[in-house]
Amino acid sequence: MNGKERMLKAFSHEEADRVPVWELAFNESSIINLGRFFTDDLPPMKLAQEMTMEEKVKLLNTLFTLVRELELDGISSILLLGTEPVDENHVKDGWGRIHRLSEEGELTAVGGPVSGPADLANLKPYHPQQSEFIMLMAAKGNFGDDLAQVVVQPGPFRESWMFLGSMEKLLYYYMKDPRFVHALARTATDWILELVDMAVDLGADIIALDGDLAFSQTTLMSPAQYEEFIFPYHQEITEHVHSRGKLIFKHTDGNAWPIMDGFAEAGFDGFHPVQPQCMDIGKVKAEYKDRLCILGNIDCMYLLPFGSEEEVEQSVKETIAAAAPGGGYVISSSNSIHPGCKPENYIAMVKAARKYGDYPIRIEG
Amino acid sequence: MQELMSKIAEAIKAGEEEQVKSLVEEGLAENLGPAQILKDAMMPAMNEIGMLFSKGEVFIPELIVSAMAMEAGLEVLKPRLGDEAKGRGKVVLGTVYGDIHSIGKNLVRMCMEGAGLEVIDIGEDLRTEKFVDACKEHKPDILGLSALLSSTMQRMPEVIEAVRAVDPSALIMVGGAPITQKFADDIGASGYAPDAYQAALKAKELLSDR
Repeated sequence: MNGKERMLKAFSHEEADRVPVWELAFNESSIINLGRFFTDDLPPMKLAQEMTMEEKVKLLNTLFTLVRELELDGISSILLLGTEPVDENHVKDGWGRIHRLSEEGELTAVGGPVSGPADLANLKPYHPQQSEFIMLMAAKGNFGDDLAQVVVQPGPFRESWMFLGSMEKLLYYYMKDPRFVHALARTATDWILELVDMAVDLGADIIALDGDLAFSQTTLMSPAQYEEFIFPYHQEITEHVHSRGKLIFKHTDGNAWPIMDGFAEAGFDGFHPVQPQCMDIGKVKAEYKDRLCILGNIDCMYLLPFGSEEEVEQSVKETIAAAAPGGGYVISSSNSIHPGCKPENYIAMVKAARKYGDYPIRIEG
Repeated sequence: MQELMSKIAEAIKAGEEEQVKSLVEEGLAENLGPAQILKDAMMPAMNEIGMLFSKGEVFIPELIVSAMAMEAGLEVLKPRLGDEAKGRGKVVLGTVYGDIHSIGKNLVRMCMEGAGLEVIDIGEDLRTEKFVDACKEHKPDILGLSALLSSTMQRMPEVIEAVRAVDPSALIMVGGAPITQKFADDIGASGYAPDAYQAALKAKELLSDR
């Protein structure tokens, strides 16, 4: 059984030969620090935006090396939107959204083409370019159908607030101008559907719909607001992905309990990352085992950055015992392998998944 | 008079910016004291919304529109508050270096302003020296540090050390998704709160203890 088959089995709530291992994302420094365990041919330690094309290729090859060496079952690709520099710390994408660069490797929109309902006409559709899927194409070229090809794509909430350059602004308009919120979500969804088509044409198996809808305590919006402003677009996106014969799961940090039913009803096939500080994976499994494949839960907030390898192994063992029986579970960190995670701990996590993850699961309670 | 104060409070809770402005103007025209409007109508309304937010009964959109309505009322009041505005407590807020997330910090700012504190928001992704400089320049009663990532929260001890090297008794609060009370205690922070509303309460508690 190969990685792709293993991942697809998990999504169909069946037991494969072992629990699949996959990760949503690795930052540049995480790739390089993990890569040191497997190769000397590494790019310099800097952000991808600051790398030459040759260094970027080396970074991608390092990622592929560690995915191969660690025998991960899926590989995630992100859309590399074409951008032009605005100044030392900012770039602009094809939509006219200004993103701030950070040392943590994450782009965050801080300005958009629209400031409010009055200038909605400034929002001119931008269409995806095949070159923006270069990471997927490279991953497909390297691994073909041996691994599940996961494409990470922001969802309609995140795309909408990026048009405004501010999440607070979008949430303000939830109360003040619902028609404007829907207009933004419509444009975002049309763009996402185009991206889905292009990703599927280029070999994606699974879409990860990114964009946080929750924080540590609860959801960013009420369940009623989710129902009104996000659910219809989620439903449209999942239906489209399914019509193309592919799978889709929802990613959100934080405590998503108030809208978990909405995710299941919207047609998502899975949920990631079940942040352990906010959500108990045993309860998520009990509630959604027939409807959602569960991905994640190994704590990357404290355990992977500061814990010992023994503690990581213990957490993997407990998590597999709670979530893996019967299938429907993919092991990963509780978000991503960010620069704070110890590479040794990530390797310990993968090793422990192999040690305890063979089906049928035999872990004493 | 009581009726007008109730209307101001209700308009803040409903997030009606224009209504709050005109009601506050009406109150001032009727010789209500600006401090009285602030303390007896606006702050209790914002406190109520904050409490409901903390209990999960209202969500960020409701909190934001109430905070905007509060701000609209404050704009009208500010020129009239004069010396009465002083002594409410001053907070400098910022997100540590490497962290470009702003929403958590912004919600804390809204809740603290709603609690009557003066807040100077110095932004995101700030190097340690920026916090030191801001403390020298603004002389806040409290410095608030925010981080969303477990990697960037590691920068908090360095900021605390640098600020305390200048002012050993500086009150420094920390917050953000990965922060816990234990982490706050370990790094010598003066205070921590799990959400924006409780951060405002904690700031007031620290100020009253001082």
